Amino acid sequence: MPGISVDRRALLGTTAAAALGGMLTGFGTGKLSVPAASAAEPGYRPFYGKYQSGILDRHQAHAVFAGWDLHWREGSKKDQLRAMLQMITEDAARLASGRGVLADTEPEMAQPGCELTLTVGLGQSLLDVAGHGQIGTLPHFAGDQLEQQYGQCDLLIQFCAQDPTVLQHAVRAVSKNLRGLASRRFAQTGFASPGVHGFRNLFGQLDGVNNPEGEVRAEAVFGQPGWIENGTTLALRRFEMDLDGWDEVDTAGRDHALGRRQADGSPLSGGSVDDPVDLAAVNGLGLPAIAANAHVALARPGSADEVMHRRGYNFAGQASGLLFASYQRDPATSFIPVQHRLAAADALNTWLKPVGSGLYAILPGVAEGGYLGEQLQM
Amino acid sequence: MKFQKTSALALGLTLLLAGCAQGAGSPAPGSEQQTVRQAEALTTSETWAKAAESGMSAAFGILHNSSGTPIALHQVSNAQGDEIQIHEMRGTGTGMTMAQLEGDLVIEPGKDAVLAPGGNHLMFMDLQQPLVAAQTARLTLEFADGSSTEVDFPIRNFDGAKESYDEHAGH
Repeated sequence: MPGISVDRRALLGTTAAAALGGMLTGFGTGKLSVPAASAAEPGYRPFYGKYQSGILDRHQAHAVFAGWDLHWREGSKKDQLRAMLQMITEDAARLASGRGVLADTEPEMAQPGCELTLTVGLGQSLLDVAGHGQIGTLPHFAGDQLEQQYGQCDLLIQFCAQDPTVLQHAVRAVSKNLRGLASRRFAQTGFASPGVHGFRNLFGQLDGVNNPEGEVRAEAVFGQPGWIENGTTLALRRFEMDLDGWDEVDTAGRDHALGRRQADGSPLSGGSVDDPVDLAAVNGLGLPAIAANAHVALARPGSADEVMHRRGYNFAGQASGLLFASYQRDPATSFIPVQHRLAAADALNTWLKPVGSGLYAILPGVAEGGYLGEQLQM
Repeated sequence: MKFQKTSALALGLTLLLAGCAQGAGSPAPGSEQQTVRQAEALTTSETWAKAAESGMSAAFGILHNSSGTPIALHQVSNAQGDEIQIHEMRGTGTGMTMAQLEGDLVIEPGKDAVLAPGGNHLMFMDLQQPLVAAQTARLTLEFADGSSTEVDFPIRNFDGAKESYDEHAGH
C-alpha cells in the first residue's frame, strides 16, 4: 500500500500534532510510512538486515535484558508465537527508528536517536513450540546459587542504547504490548563505559580486553555450525560481586587473581594490554608469571571453537556485579566448556556469586516486511 | 485490497488525478482522467484496535483521502458480524461526550481523518469474539458510493480511553 512519506524531523516536536490533524497532541506522532533509518543516519542503527543489531556492533552505554514467560490461550501455539513475534518485530522496528509503538502513550520518549537496538532471542522452550532449532539449556555450573527470578525464560530481549530514558521507554512500550501474552520475569539493567580496551567492571578491571574483533568476531558469532543461518546464541549470566571482600585484597592479589594488571590491563606475563597472554612466562623466582588458576589462564580460548564475543554490562543496586552476556555460534563448544573451567577453579570465584543463568537462540535478522523468527517456518 | 463494484454510484466520481502525486488511485502514465471509487482513494496508517475479551472496544488509525474529491465512510463491519459504529467526540476538555456520528465520516481531498483515543474512533459495541493482543482485526470499510476495502487493525493492549465507554448518553 502506498504510504505518505514524511520526514521524521518534520514531524518531531510541536509540528507533529499539527501534521496529524490538530487536536490529538501527543498521540500517534511519527512518520506515516516506515522507511528504516539508514545505518548512516546519526543516532540510529539499522533494524533490518542479515543479522540483528546489538550483537556485532559497538557496545552501547546502557542495557536492559528483559525475560518473559509466555501464556498460552486455546488453539495453535505456533500461531500465537508467530503473532507475538510479528508484534515484537513491528515494535522493535518502530522504536529503533525513533518512533513510538502502536498505541504508545509516550511516543515522545522514543526520541532522541540514541543507537537503540532490540535483540530478540528464544529459549529452547519456544524453539520446541516452533518445531525448529536445538540449543538446549545451560547446565549447572559449580558454585551456582541460582535464583528463580534471574533464571531461564521463554523469551529474551536485549535492549541497548546510549540514553537510559529512551531505553526505559522501549522496555516499557514492549512490555505493555506483551501484557496478557507473557509475564515478565526480569528486567536486568546494566551500564558500561566502553573504551579502547573493553570497559571497567565494578572490580575495577578492564573487562573484554581479549574480545575478538572484525572477522574473527563474526565467525565466532555467526559462523557454522550454528543452530540456524544468520542466527546465534546468547549466554546470559548474572554474577554478584562481593565488593566488600574485594576491598580487602591488595593490588598484587587482585592482579594475581586476574592474571592482568588492574591499572592498565597488561598481562602479568609482560608487555602491554595489546600483547597476548603468555602462560609459559616465568617471574624472577622461576614461578609462572600467570598462575594456572588466574582468570585469564582459564578463560583464554583453547581453540577457535571456544571463541565467544562478550558484550556484558555492570549492574548496581541492592547487589552489584556483572551481567555477563556472550554471543557464540555454538555454546556447547565455547561458553559451556569455558564456564565449566572457570567455575571449577577461577581465582576470582572467591568474590563472585552466580545468581542468574540462561541461554537463548538469537533469531536471524529480517528484511523490511519480514518478521523475526520467520526462518523457523512455523 | 478488495473492491466491491457498484458502478451506478461511481458514475459521479470522475476525478482529475493529474495533480495527485500519491495514493492507491494513481493513474497510469498518460491518463488524465479516471473514475476512482472512494475505497480506492483510501490509504491508512497507524491502524490498531484495543484488546478486549468481550463487550466494547475500539479501533483507531489515520484514514487518508488520496483523491481530489471527498470520500465518505459509511459503514464498518467485520466477518464476525460485530456491530461497529463510527463515533465522534463532541465538546472540549472534561466536557466531552461521545456519540454515534450522524451521517457519514467525510474525509476531504488530501486530508486525514484521525481516529484516536479521546477523539473519533470506530466502536465495537458487543464483541462476538475476543480481540487478542498481537493478533489482527480485519475490518471492512464501506464508503458512500458502495465501494469497500478491507483494512487490518493490529490488536494492542491499551488501558486508556476508558471514558469513552462510560458515556453513551448520546445514543
